[in-house]
Amino acid sequence: MSNILFSTSPHVRSGNSTKKIMQNVCISLLPAVIMGIVYFGIFALLTILVAVVSAVGSEIVYRLAIKEKFEDIISSFDYTSVVTGLIIALIIPANAHLYIPAFASIFAIVVVKMLFGGTGYNLVNPAAAGRIFAFISFTTVMNTFVAPSIGAINSSVITGATSLQSFLNDGSSLSSIDLLLGTGVAGCIGETCKIAILIGAIYLAVKKIIKIWLPIISVAVAGIVAVLLNGTIDAFLPAILSGGLLFGAFFMATDYVTNPVTTFGNVIFFILFGALTSILRHFTGYETASFAILMMNVLVPLIDKISTVKPFGYTKPQKEAK
Amino acid sequence: MSIRKGKNYPYGIHVNDMKYLTENLAIENMPLPGKVFISMSQHIGAPAIPVVNVGDQVKKGQLIGKSCGAISANVFSSVSGTVVDVLDIVNAMGQKQKHVVIENDGLNEEVFLEEMTSFEPKDLIERIGLAGIVGLGGAGFPTAVKLSPKTQLDVLIINGAECEPYLNCDYRLMLERTDDIYKGIKYTAMALNINKIIIGIEANKPEAIKLFSEYKDLDVVILKKQYPMGSEKHLIYCTTGRKVPCGKMPFDVGACVQNIKTMIAVYEAIDLNIPLTQTVMTVSGLGIKNPKNLKVALGTSFNDIIEYCGGKSENTVKLVAGGPMMGKALISLDQYARKTDSGLLVLEKNEANVDKPTNCINCGRCADNCPMRLVPVRIEKSVLAGDYMMAKKYGVLNCLECGSCAYNCPAKRPLVQSFNFAKGKIREIQLKESQREGK
Repeated sequence: MSNILFSTSPHVRSGNSTKKIMQNVCISLLPAVIMGIVYFGIFALLTILVAVVSAVGSEIVYRLAIKEKFEDIISSFDYTSVVTGLIIALIIPANAHLYIPAFASIFAIVVVKMLFGGTGYNLVNPAAAGRIFAFISFTTVMNTFVAPSIGAINSSVITGATSLQSFLNDGSSLSSIDLLLGTGVAGCIGETCKIAILIGAIYLAVKKIIKIWLPIISVAVAGIVAVLLNGTIDAFLPAILSGGLLFGAFFMATDYVTNPVTTFGNVIFFILFGALTSILRHFTGYETASFAILMMNVLVPLIDKISTVKPFGYTKPQKEAK
Repeated sequence: MSIRKGKNYPYGIHVNDMKYLTENLAIENMPLPGKVFISMSQHIGAPAIPVVNVGDQVKKGQLIGKSCGAISANVFSSVSGTVVDVLDIVNAMGQKQKHVVIENDGLNEEVFLEEMTSFEPKDLIERIGLAGIVGLGGAGFPTAVKLSPKTQLDVLIINGAECEPYLNCDYRLMLERTDDIYKGIKYTAMALNINKIIIGIEANKPEAIKLFSEYKDLDVVILKKQYPMGSEKHLIYCTTGRKVPCGKMPFDVGACVQNIKTMIAVYEAIDLNIPLTQTVMTVSGLGIKNPKNLKVALGTSFNDIIEYCGGKSENTVKLVAGGPMMGKALISLDQYARKTDSGLLVLEKNEANVDKPTNCINCGRCADNCPMRLVPVRIEKSVLAGDYMMAKKYGVLNCLECGSCAYNCPAKRPLVQSFNFAKGKIREIQLKESQREGK
């Protein structure tokens, strides 16, 4: 009888696990990875590889350093660092030197995630923090975007935030189709092709990993806020289709660890995220999705506090007669 | 009267129900074992007091444990033979309980309760109490107490949901003994002086729904296949639309919920004068050779039951008494069938929960699924931090322990365990506080 397990109910469980969820997130990022490589060539592939390898490597080295057994590290490896590495690679410009993704990944994993206790304990989104670390350290490179090598090329290198900015500055605008496909738009490796992002998001929704209506709310709010700030309805499509908003909303803001728990809390989170992205974008001129995510992440405990749900059969406590 | 669809309740989970293992197997009578170990505490409340001594000759259906106190129940012998021992055995919950051991003499002599002469509500309730009937859905609350509410109720709800995976005993009984169940329901309704009777059946049991829709005075409600539909509070909501307030009981909204098996026991006690001496259980799981629906005598050893079903496989990792969602894991098979047992599961590795817990990733699945609308992750975190009063504030006392949160948890957190622990601690704290106030 020694092999009989003794534990509390429930004795059966659904097949999902953190590992499976993270593997699915990796799969959902594949369309963006492929389109990044198609648009930006072999250098994009190198960037992605460097980011993923340094993320995974730094996690393993860190855990070895705190004297965990190698077998344990392998058996409990949950693919979160792969996701972090992939996202970091996808949100930096394609012409960034290879040491930039490496630095960003190592910072994200070691400082943001592992020092706080590993998966589930990080306060802010590691990928967003890694990107901002790189952005502050290497501002010039990180703020110089190249356009894909195929499609209608406006200018090979754009300095500045997004096509929204150029639309507002000189009135020239790209067609929505170009924005959607990312052809001729300068941007980051994975953020350029919106179609690929949407395919990945739909995959996540089908696998029930994200509630797809939440990021859609935030994207819509971002568009509306941009319209209000610019005073023209034409700003709506460029606002939602440019820069890192879509990628940030679907893949980074939906990160479980740094989200509120309840659905109600998530609604607040995503509305504020969308609004904050547009507002920061309008007043700073930088690509601000990552900043908005970081700011919202630190607000999560507060949102959690106000977003309580009433239990089934809840009745207002009756005031005791004095 | 009518068939209608139940109210939709959006919170709950869809489990892999595994009912196919025993769904189409008729209930078999398991031969009486050579020895039975009958527990004196097969119900909630005070244990019964043994009224037989070692060496006594007993017949099947003879009283061997007398109920003591307001909430307690009689216990009857399930075989005829000699009492060979009265001893303490540790049960599945880890509590020591008195068991009466009776050696079967194989004569199968039987005694019956007296014939009933009057069928007034109080006579019916008295008979139900005398026959040792308790809520057979799992809790084991003495039925006679449940049928004597302080206020007049207006609806009797029969729980035919059987939302636990694997278990099929209620379903088989509904198919095979429809008429007996109906009579039991009528007697129960008479005892409560209620005209409105609702039977809630999950949509995955169309044959049972068809059979019960024949009766003109039953209101058949088809429930969505969802776990935990069989929970009293949710059954009441889905069949009548009434919400049982937190911390209140079904009778506070005028409802009484009864289990299928209890209804059969009521019928047998009143019409056939047979006390409760047996239970119907589903023996299932991938680890058992021949899954079966079995009628077993109370006190039959689980070892005998497993052997009768062809034994368990080498790959067995878990033994469970009851359903897989709320049942108790067994550390050994030296346990004995009780009134409330409705399942004995032998689980293999690929169906059981054997994964080690990892860090919570805050995904919120537990909160999305909780049928009581709690936020399990917050409760667990406050329990882990040792802040039981915070857990209470987050509503841990409303928890049904249904396991919906832990079932879907990707990090495999032992959530229900935390909640049970917290409940115990909160009770301790409250006891201390009341003592302090007393001084």
